[in-house]
Amino acid sequence: MIQDLLTDKKYLFATGANTELRAQRNLTRRAVLLNGDLIGNVRTEQFGVSARVYENGVYGFSSTAEYTDETVKDVLKAASENAAFLAGHAGKGKGPHKAMANGRSLTAFDLNDVEQRTYIEFIQTLDNYIAQKYPDLVSRTVVATADSMEKLLCVSNGTDGHSIIPRSYIYVMMTIMGADGKPVELYKVIGGGFGTFDRNFSKPEAYFEEIDKLYDRIRQKAEGVYPEAGSKTVIMGGILSGMLAHEAVGHTVEADLVIGGSVAGSCLNKRVGSELVTLVDFAHTALGKPTPLPVYVDDEGTAATDALLIKDGILVGYMNSRETAERFNMAPTGNARAYLFSDEPLIRMRNTAVLPGASKLEDMIASIDDGYYLTDTNNGQADTTGEFMYGVTFGYEIKKGKLGRALLDTTISGVAFDMLKTVDMVSDEMIWASSGMCGKKQPMPVGMGGPALRCRVTIGGR
Amino acid sequence: MIESIKKTAQSAVTALQNAGADKAQANVSYTITHEFNVDGGEFSLFRTLFDKSLAMTAIQGGKKGTVAQNRYDEETILASAQACLEAAASAQPDENWDFAPLSQNEDFVQGEVKPDTDKLFARCQELMAAVRARFPKIIMEQMIVSHKEIYSAKANSYGSLFSTHEGYYEVSLMFSGHEGEKASSFFGSGVITDNLDRPFLELGSLEKDLSDVEKQIETTFVEGKFEGTMVVMPGCVASLFYTILSDFAGEGGLLSGTSPWKEKLGEKVADERITISLAPLDERIVCGNRVTGEGFRAENFDVIQNGKLNAFVLGLYASNKLKLPRGKNDSFNVVMAPGDKPIEEIIASIDRGILVGRFSGGQPASNGDFSGVAKNSFLIENGKIGQALSETMISGNMADMLNKLRGISREQVADGMMVLPYLAFDGITISGK
Repeated sequence: MIQDLLTDKKYLFATGANTELRAQRNLTRRAVLLNGDLIGNVRTEQFGVSARVYENGVYGFSSTAEYTDETVKDVLKAASENAAFLAGHAGKGKGPHKAMANGRSLTAFDLNDVEQRTYIEFIQTLDNYIAQKYPDLVSRTVVATADSMEKLLCVSNGTDGHSIIPRSYIYVMMTIMGADGKPVELYKVIGGGFGTFDRNFSKPEAYFEEIDKLYDRIRQKAEGVYPEAGSKTVIMGGILSGMLAHEAVGHTVEADLVIGGSVAGSCLNKRVGSELVTLVDFAHTALGKPTPLPVYVDDEGTAATDALLIKDGILVGYMNSRETAERFNMAPTGNARAYLFSDEPLIRMRNTAVLPGASKLEDMIASIDDGYYLTDTNNGQADTTGEFMYGVTFGYEIKKGKLGRALLDTTISGVAFDMLKTVDMVSDEMIWASSGMCGKKQPMPVGMGGPALRCRVTIGGR
Repeated sequence: MIESIKKTAQSAVTALQNAGADKAQANVSYTITHEFNVDGGEFSLFRTLFDKSLAMTAIQGGKKGTVAQNRYDEETILASAQACLEAAASAQPDENWDFAPLSQNEDFVQGEVKPDTDKLFARCQELMAAVRARFPKIIMEQMIVSHKEIYSAKANSYGSLFSTHEGYYEVSLMFSGHEGEKASSFFGSGVITDNLDRPFLELGSLEKDLSDVEKQIETTFVEGKFEGTMVVMPGCVASLFYTILSDFAGEGGLLSGTSPWKEKLGEKVADERITISLAPLDERIVCGNRVTGEGFRAENFDVIQNGKLNAFVLGLYASNKLKLPRGKNDSFNVVMAPGDKPIEEIIASIDRGILVGRFSGGQPASNGDFSGVAKNSFLIENGKIGQALSETMISGNMADMLNKLRGISREQVADGMMVLPYLAFDGITISGK
């Protein structure tokens, strides 16, 4: 655990300014088998301390990889000087941030740093199983990955914190030759989530069934068809609706992007979806359970609470830092987070999800005469206009209320605040995903989730 | 400082050997960053960062392990050497792992190693003022301008030792056009430069990109679907080439066996007018890598030469494994030979098509099939650039596309990282609502 060299430096914090000191350690462990060859076997650690000072409406920041009493003082001094330089040239005549209650949030625990051997042996067992049982695959990749962020935070006003967020996953990717002689690919995250690898994965044999299902699906895909291009009624599975919540809606309601010109700037308190759509960026608890990646305090010292973004189809809020919350006269909810010790806090999502509704998935499928059920995606991108695009890597035709042939790779696109208005059925079960990284100047682990949505989107066909 | 970095790299190699490594490599760096940020059109942040990195790799009995971190005091080096050997011990032996053999060691110095912070800030202010005056419909969502000074050294157990001391300025803009409640798509543009002699607006394609985005506030739709010509702007060419260079000619597609080019070395894979090089030593590339990650002296090479697949982009492991020559550098400094016609002339020859500024698409399939949304794009009709488009999808196959070249422009954009022309391809499916 990170030793506290920060609290006793509070006497150095300047009055009339907001100051944050943060010591942070990021660990990553990764092992990659490609067709049985170990092509990745890496352990990394990044550790250091940073200071940020807010003065006259601008920030100064400094960081160093050395973590000693002296370097803590050094970064504090450098951050103050940087703030003074910028304030002197481009100050905005503002005072410190609105005061909030002081507190302390302690959620760190001793991390079991699993030996590299454990990752490698686990995926070797999985890889041997795949190689022996499915020799017709053109290619197979098995990845074990784990990362963690430990943060010790000390602020001039707000909540000090000591937290740790570990997560670990296994990915399996398969490639098979399709009917037309072209390779067909499919991957799946099998198991994992919050927690260290040894906690999440005990016996490789427990994942053989998941592997069999993945193989069954790629066989279906190899015999699959391209969807017909055009505007279609689809059921977007939970993985896709989570991606929608994050990419197409979430980013547009980050307050810094609102200031930067996102479509949400003109939509506050207006209808942006059907009455069935409610969307929340959860902090640490969702629907009575811990979120995939719980955040209790952000890196500005704001105690984290849920950010209600869309309620019954009406856009009701943004995600904020302390600075933007004042600008929009909203309460900060703890969204300002930094990836590395050397990164400044940015407005980031935490666990963003569309809330489940009342429909049964089977009824939703039965309700469609001619459409598609889209279940898997490999990436998604969205514009500040709300226009989004996802790669769809698996799904099925729906013909006369029944699932038909599997789909080959395609894309869907739409405009979020138009598409959400077409949502007319929402399933009662939701799926969370948390293995990905969001990119916005810095990477950041995020959770996203949602139920199945019946809606209309443009599907790209071939 | 550079001598100390070199000594650290050598100490790390020795520590790995003492811990039992048959072969060892260490990459060490120390980076000082000065960075100004603008958010929502206003200066918001000034950062100074002091970062270290140490990556140690050991091969023992053909087993390889890597440990990387951002400290390199003596205690950390010794502990990392042990951790690295432990990681290697868990691996399976593979005779193909190796490092670069000893060649002529060298110390490189390039770029503007020390920042002129006051002048850098003045150039930032000048850029912001110019954008406000000349492009009043632009909202600068974010501008990040920095100087990086990097000391780095690479050493291995064959006695190889290279060092580099370099410095460069980097400008990165994210912006969109606005008029009332109407807005364009966002657009990112950037340059790397080793001097502050010229206003930033004159570098790369920044001025044209800002001008284009102002014209993208009002958009129209494509009716239905048609097969037409896609003209790709230089800033968008790189994203198309990424798949070609990684999945077709790179390790990913070749090691997995999924590359459509795996048997095509020396054969025609593209129109004979196409030559694509990876050229970190090109004079228009700023602070290109002089040494590869595996310790080889970097050299420029052509991946595609006059339409023929001239070389794969392979590191040493993949090269040994596949028994194919390795790529002579590991950069993504793509330099493409220009054509002989101005872009206006190429566009004038197109009946119906699209001029694409940004491609928002899913990861292309390993066979090259791609589809996605054409962002920051314009309709081309009857040889003229028309109105900007929204909600327009493009699809095709990258391998096929390279053989359906209509033209390469005489104009090139050099942004310090790449040198690219406009490219026009026929046979692209363009679909709207």
